[in-house]
Amino acid sequence: MAFCTGCSLLCDDIVVDLDGGKIGKTMNLCRKGHAHYSSISSGRLTPSVDGSEVGVEDAMMAAAEVLAGADNPLLFGWGGSTLEAQRAGVDLAKKLGGAIDDPSSYSQGLITEKIIAGDLPTCTLDDVRNFADVSIYWGDDPSSSHPRHMSRFSYFPRGEKRQRGYEEDREAIVIDVRKSPTAQIAADGFFKITPGGDGAFIEALVASLAGKIPKVEDKKRMLNLGTKLRKAKFGAIFTGQGLAHSLRGDLSGFVSLVGKLSEITRFSVIPTLGDYNTRGFNQTLFDETGHVNSVTFKDGVRHGQEFSIARLLDSCDAVMVVGSDPAAALPAAIAKKLAKAVTVAIGSHRNMTTDFAKVSVPMAVAGIEAGGSCLRTDGVRVEFDGLVGSDHLSDVDIIKRIMEAV
Amino acid sequence: MAGGKELTVITFRGIFQEVEEARGMYSDGYRDQSAVVALDGGDMKEMGVEAGHPVHLETASGDVVVAAKLSEEAHPGVAFMPASPWSAQLLSGEVGEDGFLELKMFTVRASSGGGRVTSIEEIEAVIRAP
Ligand code: SF4
Repeated sequence: MAFCTGCSLLCDDIVVDLDGGKIGKTMNLCRKGHAHYSSISSGRLTPSVDGSEVGVEDAMMAAAEVLAGADNPLLFGWGGSTLEAQRAGVDLAKKLGGAIDDPSSYSQGLITEKIIAGDLPTCTLDDVRNFADVSIYWGDDPSSSHPRHMSRFSYFPRGEKRQRGYEEDREAIVIDVRKSPTAQIAADGFFKITPGGDGAFIEALVASLAGKIPKVEDKKRMLNLGTKLRKAKFGAIFTGQGLAHSLRGDLSGFVSLVGKLSEITRFSVIPTLGDYNTRGFNQTLFDETGHVNSVTFKDGVRHGQEFSIARLLDSCDAVMVVGSDPAAALPAAIAKKLAKAVTVAIGSHRNMTTDFAKVSVPMAVAGIEAGGSCLRTDGVRVEFDGLVGSDHLSDVDIIKRIMEAV
Repeated sequence: MAGGKELTVITFRGIFQEVEEARGMYSDGYRDQSAVVALDGGDMKEMGVEAGHPVHLETASGDVVVAAKLSEEAHPGVAFMPASPWSAQLLSGEVGEDGFLELKMFTVRASSGGGRVTSIEEIEAVIRAP
């Protein structure tokens, strides 16, 4: 069986016919995974310096030169990299005395940090498949972002203690501002909230769990939800960007809600993370520094929002982006700063960040063209081999080569 | 920001956009899935916009033209837009005191027309501009 690195579910049941050393027929990939596999033959990044194509060795040496000449470099990205490359990236940041950050600094980093630190209970997706009778998707639409989430783990499959499947044995609850495809599956379990209304929903749910009258329009429905959660044998809460952005930096209400649920029954939190190895980067950096993102190794180890990409672009003098496209995701005003910074981009495909980069270094697609290991969104470690040969170096080989030359 | 209708925009990720992004973000398919805004039927009527027609979206940070899409649900005053380089042009780059960037929700002025849908190359040119 092969793996798919199309998202952080890292599906491990992919059947691939290798046709003359090339990817032939595949089975079990979702639509997104299929596009991910197909992408190896188009839109690939070429090695370049100042817009001119060069050999990959020259590109790596130019990257090393940019980093060695910088006083305050920022190494950013990493969710689309293997654990081996992430480890090498942390070592490179230490060697340079630079900062390191990933997109979790503007998405689910705080939630992931609380899980890794043990402040929020968690479990594996396999536990969810085997035991969960209530799945709550909060500001999270895995049907769109992680298409096999509900079918492999959280709603549709039968499991050890869930032999009657979703029809009788599982309940899906969706809390969201729009009727997403996941909310459509949940049907009556959909709770539509107003934009930014997650905090108020948490308060109402806490009141309902305590048997108090919740301050919401539909009090009966909220009380029924409280009763349902109280009766759950094994609940799982999947968090998405919607929840993270609505609560912003203040997770206290959410942590307290999960604490109250855990006093009553078993409830676990699993973040639905974007890039295939976001969890791996957060864990790798946490193991090294006690923080999941926004760390500098200049003058010891320091952490804070001032070392996140959103802030640091004002003061850093070189940026290396690995397996990520912040220029496409960040507000234009910040993307402008990135475009003006001296940038090294390491990636498998052309994107906006590589278009703006002074130096581009192409890398192999992990899981298809190169092997490695990574952490699934629930923290489970997986290891895979490359399936086909490639002219491209693996991400870890590139980072190590640059580090040698710095 | 003058004229047009004020709307709260919420960003999201859709499966077809995810697929097109995996295929390559410089494709027509990616633009078609990303440069869109899903509007409430009543809001569309008020603005004189029809499905598939261009809508000009503007904030203090930037502006883009995207295609209108009619939502199946009613959500007056609220619009939904895929998170993409198009929505990113409208986001404020201000970092809050809590260190958070607002990437999910913002207010726009929306009006009918504005010419053809903004291309990704035009977005790159705006970002590169001094
Ligand atoms: S759900 Fe994610 S990992 Fe699984 S096949 Fe689809 S894209 Fe790949």
